[in-house]
Amino acid sequence: MTAENAVLIPRRSEVASAFKQQGGLVAAVLPIHYPRALLLAFNILPMEVWGPPRVDVSLGSAHLQPYVCSVVRNALSFILGGGLDVADLIMVPHACDSLQGLGSILLDFLPPKQPVIPFYLPRGGSQQGEVFFAEELRFLYQRLEEIAGISPSNETIMKSIQWEEVADELLARLHKQRGRLQFKDHDFYRLIRTREYLPAEDFIDIAQSIFDADYEGQQEGIPIILSGIVPEPMGLLKTISEFGARVVADDLACCGRRLYPAGRSEDPFFRMAERILGGPPDWCRGSPIQDRLDHLHRMIDATDARGVIFYNVKFCEPELFDLPDLRQGLGDLGVPTVSIEVDISDPLSSQATTRIEAFFEMIR
Amino acid sequence: MSIIDSLLYHWNVNILSHSLLRLNIWLRAEISRASWKSKYLAPPLKISWLNKDLVTRHWLRGHYANQRHKVAWVTSGAPTELLKALDYFIVYPENHAAICGTARVAVDIMSVAEEAGYSQDICSYARTDFGTLLSGKTPVGKLPRPDLLLACTNICQTVLFWYRVLARHFNIPLIVIDTPFVYHSEATEHALQFVLRQLEQAIPVAEQVAGKSLQERKLKEVGRLSKMATELWLEIIERNQHQPAPISVIDQFIQMAPIVEMRGDAETVDFYAAMLKEVDERIANGIGAVKGEKKRLLWDNLPIWYRLRYLAEFLGENGVAIVASTYTNAWGELARYYDVERGLESLALACIYVILNRSTGHKLKTMQRMIEEYHLDGVILHSDRSCKPYSIGQMDQRDRLIREFEKPALLLEADHNDFRCFAEQQVANRLAAFVEMLER
Ligand code: SF4
Ligand code: SF4
Repeated sequence: MTAENAVLIPRRSEVASAFKQQGGLVAAVLPIHYPRALLLAFNILPMEVWGPPRVDVSLGSAHLQPYVCSVVRNALSFILGGGLDVADLIMVPHACDSLQGLGSILLDFLPPKQPVIPFYLPRGGSQQGEVFFAEELRFLYQRLEEIAGISPSNETIMKSIQWEEVADELLARLHKQRGRLQFKDHDFYRLIRTREYLPAEDFIDIAQSIFDADYEGQQEGIPIILSGIVPEPMGLLKTISEFGARVVADDLACCGRRLYPAGRSEDPFFRMAERILGGPPDWCRGSPIQDRLDHLHRMIDATDARGVIFYNVKFCEPELFDLPDLRQGLGDLGVPTVSIEVDISDPLSSQATTRIEAFFEMIR
Repeated sequence: MSIIDSLLYHWNVNILSHSLLRLNIWLRAEISRASWKSKYLAPPLKISWLNKDLVTRHWLRGHYANQRHKVAWVTSGAPTELLKALDYFIVYPENHAAICGTARVAVDIMSVAEEAGYSQDICSYARTDFGTLLSGKTPVGKLPRPDLLLACTNICQTVLFWYRVLARHFNIPLIVIDTPFVYHSEATEHALQFVLRQLEQAIPVAEQVAGKSLQERKLKEVGRLSKMATELWLEIIERNQHQPAPISVIDQFIQMAPIVEMRGDAETVDFYAAMLKEVDERIANGIGAVKGEKKRLLWDNLPIWYRLRYLAEFLGENGVAIVASTYTNAWGELARYYDVERGLESLALACIYVILNRSTGHKLKTMQRMIEEYHLDGVILHSDRSCKPYSIGQMDQRDRLIREFEKPALLLEADHNDFRCFAEQQVANRLAAFVEMLER
């Protein structure tokens, strides 16, 4: 039996309605970092919205210029088209200028039926940042109190954090041991991306069942690393497999950059803050480019990856700023790279496929 | 620096080059005024030559700055008063990029960055800066090498991405002053505290690089001069509430360099005092920036640096003057937050309440207020391809201006520094149709 057969991946819509049937609320959450544990302590299920692909983009295009990325455009289109009607609130973490703009126009010009809650993630990595973020989370607590009508105790929040820490530890193990699991990349990412909408307990069950099944295999294929925001369109992953390669680690904003370490603080708000701010290097927290490069280098060393694919969303400035230095830095270390730009609404273009094929030919 | 070097510096910067430059600039300005032929626009302000002199001298000093000062590269919303008080020579890469844009050499310079892998989709100021870094090309002679970088996220997150690249390139300290975005009407208390604490922590870093301690007296003096210049600037732009408007926003774009670049200097205060005087003279003599002003507009977003003259003339020909702008206003509206006695606290307020750090609704309210105060007939919103923070929200702002305030509003697609994004014919057609609509 393969792991694919062993795991039944629940659909987002089913998970949301089941959660609501049990008396919970649902929060639609935009990228990238947010306090999952806090929402769940309020019995609010976070349902992440990375785009999504395949929506009628004309709705968003009526409010956003053509030079805004497809993640933001699709999200707005989805909201305006009623795709998030199931949600009881919409949370917009601050990540980049475009998400900042989206949060602001939702509040000021296009208020959806649900409350919109923005919050700010501090940059620069100072200790002051952690203090601020803990306060920002307390502030968020008050907003959630108003919406959910309950006031979870510190103990309840701490319990929720502990569940998240276990889930994140298992997630990290899945990432690390992916080579032993009999998952093709496409299925592996479908599996780990359930973390975007499953309650921690359910994710733990699934992850545990995979480890319990005790698969012993070794994936074949040219080992590569994937970097970028989100593996959409997911057709890329199938293309990678078809060309005889496999993703051995990632530096994706929605996946590898959110492998948060366990916290230490006894104060739940500080603990959530230190976890999120202590994650792998990321422009979103203001990490120096060299830290990102060192991180990629460590991943390459640990996995024997032969190259890196930068899979970028068109108009995503934060990624585009780091790209030349990262490519140059990896090139200096003898690691080949390729950069592919996509609109998450479109299928992978034949031009992109050809470039990926040529890249694999080169590193084979 | 040895005595000989010091003398050489003084001779070059303050005596020989400066005198020659001054004479040259003054002569050119006088010739240009005397031969001014536009039937529709008033000649340039007499004070313009002094602006050119200030700016040119700034860059001339920059040429030798590494020998005499510690040099800091800073973002335009950064609290430079701290660095000024520590005697840093300050360079604004954004301003330098704008000079490249106005001189129409920006695209040549930024293409060097593009060849090195920087996408055409990132801010064209940053691309221009990277192009200069990689090629040494600049119309100002030479940019001094920085010893310290200061980036404040109050104008955009982009500057943080940009300055991370600079920090790696130069391998020098980067101070980040992170200013949480103000989504609602007021900043939260913890956000203000966060900014304040970062300012406090920035001081020892800046002191260490400068090799000296910050003197409170010096900081107060710089703060006082900053406030004076900012207040004067605000007074100047508010004079445009008068009809006809004595100066156009295009003039303001050109005259704003010292308030951005040399805030905190005594000569900046003198310059704006003289400018205010000249503006008042124009009002007294009934001189308008556009002869026979018929319609008055608001400009939103950054200037289109490489087409300032074209815009002024195209609109001027039709009796249309751009008299107010959210952009030039941004440097004046913060005057009320500067309070020398409240020190860092007031700097924190001035940092966080920059228009670009506030909501899209706040910007709409600012536009609405300006429409009333300046008696405006319409709005041009420059949809700036590579400045997302200023541009996102404009489509809804335009709709509200039309629907709720019944003001014609035009979304004009271009870019602040990249003329490849400026479709001449399309812009001309859209402007012509807009002017026609204003006349109805
Ligand atoms: S894809 Fe990039 S620009 Fe778009 S929302 Fe994500 S981080 Fe921001
Ligand atoms: S993105 Fe806009 S605000 Fe930011 S540096 Fe560029 S032009 Fe200025």
